[in-house]
Amino acid sequence: MSLMKYLALDKVANFFNIIRLNGGIRGSLYKLYRQDEIKDGVLIGEDKFGNKYYENPRYFYGRNRWVEYADQYYLNYDASQVPAEWYGWLHYKTDLPPHQDPSRPKYKWMAEFTENLSGTTGQYTPYSTTRPKIEPWVPKKAGQ
Amino acid sequence: MLVLKALGASAPNTVLSFMKKGAFAVAPAVDQIRHTHLPAPSPTEKRPYSPFQDASNMAEYAVARLDDLLNWGRKGSMWPMTFGLACCAVEMMHFAAPRYDMDRYGVVFRASPRQSDVMIVAGTLTNKMAPALRKVYDQMPDPRWVISMGSCANGGGYYHYSYSVVRGCDRIVPVDIYVPGCPPTAEALLYGVLQLQKKVKRMKTTQIWYRK
Repeated sequence: MSLMKYLALDKVANFFNIIRLNGGIRGSLYKLYRQDEIKDGVLIGEDKFGNKYYENPRYFYGRNRWVEYADQYYLNYDASQVPAEWYGWLHYKTDLPPHQDPSRPKYKWMAEFTENLSGTTGQYTPYSTTRPKIEPWVPKKAGQ
Repeated sequence: MLVLKALGASAPNTVLSFMKKGAFAVAPAVDQIRHTHLPAPSPTEKRPYSPFQDASNMAEYAVARLDDLLNWGRKGSMWPMTFGLACCAVEMMHFAAPRYDMDRYGVVFRASPRQSDVMIVAGTLTNKMAPALRKVYDQMPDPRWVISMGSCANGGGYYHYSYSVVRGCDRIVPVDIYVPGCPPTAEALLYGVLQLQKKVKRMKTTQIWYRK
């Protein structure tokens, strides 16, 4: 145990390190505004949308892996923007991020990942492919 | 012949299914979605805070910003009714507990319909409870929203064929968000609340008033 740690001064060092890693005072304030939290971590990878994935085992399990959403989402980020290949790593299903895991299946029939498009024109609309079992009653008009 | 008749009877449904397969270009249901929904966002383009970006003059711009302010206030303090019907209510309590902590989204349980904005229908809605639910809903002030939580509230779920259960709470009250699951996790309910915030964000209260 170093003297720094004995006097709990490593917390102060951590604080300044976090500010430095998040781009100085302005950058840290912007990140606080955008995602309510500033953390220090090791960049594990980046997906094709530009979301960045970080890890720091100093935080307790459950909060030690996190995602910083890409800049273009601004405040409109959403958990469904994490693509399927990173989902497992982020939720502790696997310790291997997708670019380090050779055993992941990749088939050409696999669909392109999309975020949740509910409320937009891209949303899923259910439809039936079977013949309806009931027919609506169309009443005859009085004149006929 | 019978098949053709059946096709005619269920025109919107089958047309839509054909539309999905690319046989027709325009269908009424899809057209309706086009009018009431925002365009699908691209994952690469920049997304501004406000969904109202197409103001053509100063008045429209001012009204759109007023709407933004109003929606920001509304989505930041949505108070749900404390209204648990069945086991989903336990997950709703988990959502209130420290791990998922709904308080950080400004969602606070309010045990009075007259001061709440959202009603979370958590659980099986029975025929006996339905009039009570409707009365509670009618007592809520406008604007009000409903989150239907769990299979039972969405469409009857496990009790769909029971003689005493309402087959979906949307037969009683208009529902904004359906949270699937039996029961949905607290995380799923949290996501439902975030989706409702997204929906509230594109409400056009003053813009519609200005149009009129």
